[in-house]
Amino acid sequence: MKINAFTKTYEGRRVLDFPGMELERGKIYAVIGANGSGKSTFAKILTGVQKADKGRVHTDAASVGYMPQKNFAYRMSTKANILLAGKNEEKARRLMAELQLGHLENKRADRLSGGETARMALARLMMKGFELVILDEPTAAMDMETTMLSERLILDYVKETDCALVLVTHSLQQARRIADHALYFHKGQLLEEGSADKVLYTPEKAETRQFLEFYGA
Amino acid sequence: MKTSIMKAIALILSADAELLDILGVTAEMSLQSSVIALLIGVPIGIWLGASRFYGRSALLVANRTLMGMPPVVCGLIFYMLFSGVGPFRHLKLLFTVKIMIMAQVVLITPIVVGSMEGYVDRVAPAVRETAKGLGLGRVKTFFLLVNECVYQIISTYLLAFARSIAEVGAVSMVGGAIAWKTNVMTTAIMQYTNRGNFTLGIALGIILLTISLIVNIVISLLQRRLSR
Repeated sequence: MKINAFTKTYEGRRVLDFPGMELERGKIYAVIGANGSGKSTFAKILTGVQKADKGRVHTDAASVGYMPQKNFAYRMSTKANILLAGKNEEKARRLMAELQLGHLENKRADRLSGGETARMALARLMMKGFELVILDEPTAAMDMETTMLSERLILDYVKETDCALVLVTHSLQQARRIADHALYFHKGQLLEEGSADKVLYTPEKAETRQFLEFYGA
Repeated sequence: MKTSIMKAIALILSADAELLDILGVTAEMSLQSSVIALLIGVPIGIWLGASRFYGRSALLVANRTLMGMPPVVCGLIFYMLFSGVGPFRHLKLLFTVKIMIMAQVVLITPIVVGSMEGYVDRVAPAVRETAKGLGLGRVKTFFLLVNECVYQIISTYLLAFARSIAEVGAVSMVGGAIAWKTNVMTTAIMQYTNRGNFTLGIALGIILLTISLIVNIVISLLQRRLSR
């Protein structure tokens, strides 16, 4: 799956310069970097929510799923929200049970807590099979237990759907736990890219090493 | 003062014929004008809130200007258009409930547009972003957006109704406050107070305040529901 090169400029300042790359199906790509490094902009442009400087970003993916950083719950029940992306009730119940949402099935989703909303949003996205999935900080609002449950679900989803999954995360531990590849963004540039083991443990660039040391490697 | 209030309460309880007529005309004007303003203003408000296009800012400025239009200016414009020297004199609408409704629609619609635009502008990006991320189509996304607006539409309607029922400047100019024909609560209060008949004025004032109180309670409850 190919993503072509693109750039993004805000008010005359280049905030992202992406050289393009190939994504392999069935793999998880962790996108790491400090705040303001361009991670979320990269995710939004890839999804089409934001436009790159020149036209649409081309990917070979027939379908792209996206879970934004700020999860939005529609004004309807948790179950109705989850069923928006697919009408398979059995699957919805299974996902709700796995993400500990069963008891919240009939609760208005816009009244859920931050962590519950994030789990609902993850279940909602997983109702559908996409070729390319982008998750922007999916577990940032979750506690450790539900983070682990979500990570297991993400791994299962990638295996089941054979999608390429881009995981934007500020958690190096999470990237090490589930990612196959890692992309390190620094000041809007893709500075280092490769296997998760290499980038997250023995990076080539000094900036990447500094980042890993600073963020608790 | 106390006697006048007691008399006013007695008048309300006795279901006085003139009082009932004024209430009937008021209800006809307020309900019809607020519903029409809602039907026109809600789609425009949603469109302005959810879209980004060249000239949108100019439209928003124009709408805000109309929101602040003094009712007497609106009444004056309608009076000039429909009076004996106006271009629409042949329609013979001056001093009828119909022209009062028209003037009210012109006054209220910008308020409806402004209220909806402000709300949709806040929720539309998240609604759209999430829907796009789930691969939902434009039609489904539109209905999800409308679903998010349900309470706001009800709240906006009550606001429009409250504005309509309390308006006096435009309706007195184009309606003429003719007894048993175009006299509404606000114009009747003015009229009867000028004549020194405080009883009917106070009775109407009590009813108007009660309606306003009910509307505000409902709006507050809805706003509480809206707040997440």
